[in-house]
Amino acid sequence: MRKFLLPLLFIFFFMLESIFVQSLPAEMFNSDRILVPRFLMIAIIFLTLYGNRNHGLIYALVFGLLFDVVYTEIIGVYLFLFPFIAYLTSKVMRLLQANIVVIAVVSLLGVALLELCVYELTFLINKTDMVFSMFVDLRWVPTLILNLAFIIIFAYPLKRHFEKYAQSLKAE
Amino acid sequence: MPQFFLNKRLIFLLVSIIILVALIGFSLREREELTVPEQFLKDATGWIQNVFAKPQGYVTDFFENVKDLQNTYSENKELKSRLDKLAKLEADVQQLEKENEELREILGEKESLRDYEPIQATVIGRNPDRWHEIIIINKGEVNGIEQNMAVVSSNGYLIGKVKSTQQFTATIQLLSAMDPTNRISAEIKGNEEYFGTIEGYDVDRELLKLKRIPYDAKVEKQQKVVTSGLGGIFPQNLSIGEVVDVEPDEFGLNQTAYVKPGANFYNIRNVMVVKRVMDQPNLSDMVDDEEEEL
Repeated sequence: MRKFLLPLLFIFFFMLESIFVQSLPAEMFNSDRILVPRFLMIAIIFLTLYGNRNHGLIYALVFGLLFDVVYTEIIGVYLFLFPFIAYLTSKVMRLLQANIVVIAVVSLLGVALLELCVYELTFLINKTDMVFSMFVDLRWVPTLILNLAFIIIFAYPLKRHFEKYAQSLKAE
Repeated sequence: MPQFFLNKRLIFLLVSIIILVALIGFSLREREELTVPEQFLKDATGWIQNVFAKPQGYVTDFFENVKDLQNTYSENKELKSRLDKLAKLEADVQQLEKENEELREILGEKESLRDYEPIQATVIGRNPDRWHEIIIINKGEVNGIEQNMAVVSSNGYLIGKVKSTQQFTATIQLLSAMDPTNRISAEIKGNEEYFGTIEGYDVDRELLKLKRIPYDAKVEKQQKVVTSGLGGIFPQNLSIGEVVDVEPDEFGLNQTAYVKPGANFYNIRNVMVVKRVMDQPNLSDMVDDEEEEL
């Protein structure tokens, strides 16, 4: 049973993003600001930092591919970015103290980097004509605030869950 | 030794960037249909999304109901005032419809561009990153959905077209997506009818751009915009929205109208996929040798 818990958790986050976007009240969107939930990315970063790094990267790869195929129909963007950012955060954390506040900040930075890279790539393939200043105003800042709220609420439960997971891996 | 490891990582990064570019290039091609593994993945996740969509629907419906209750009184008042007019309108419509049918019979024309068969569907997913405005519905090829069909919101306004289909789910691209290949032949209703194509969406003002209207057309504000059915796939007379602004285009040869879409692109729960009854013309019939293909 424990074995299936982790994939189920990630599938849940994967679905939660779509449900979140769909059921947010329209008024919040009509105010022009776009809030992008990045719960999956945050969960992956926490898994790489608290659980097992290699497992984190594998989950990043699998769910990146799933995200591309199901939600965007452009394969490659998230397939590359999820593992890349997970790897980068794990490297950064080697230099820093593994404190929950520090990790929260690092994962927020990871989300910021992800948003920025996705914007640059979408701009590059001509799927948007948003200029950078508009992107910062309308998307970047609101998205970071939303994800900061998510991190504050879920950081501790995620940390505990993944630490247990790491212990069970060691016990085996 | 560390130098060597660094190099290995660098090479790995470069190789993965090359793969990234190749994959993006592969998926940006105009694809008739998705590859089989992609279809399988989408159907499999669609099944899970279906499971999530039901309870989610109940919850959002509940909150919407509560919201509706709050302004029942004022709404009721307005509806009552309209009800009187409705009876007369209905009688008129019936008479006109009958007349239309009779006239058609005389002409011997049975099918019309207007006729369509609606397929009801529920939205089970939406792209969270919102760069590509994509929604996923719970009906697919087995229900008769095909690529490029028109999709209409529950209040009857055009919201997009089918981007790709799987066996049990389909992906819909909304009108608000920025895609240069997403063109819809449209018509401005008025004393005189003008034709143009919907090309693109102004994110800033949340308006659709209706381009290629003749320069001498007298388009006024609040005129209704509907599909013309001349694009070959959409039926005629699906409402799109109304004109809010008209500008001459950059070269002054045409005009561009800004159209306020009638559909809300955000809270979409149920949609109708519209299947045109009349046959699609073959592309080869439409393209003359002298004319350039767009």
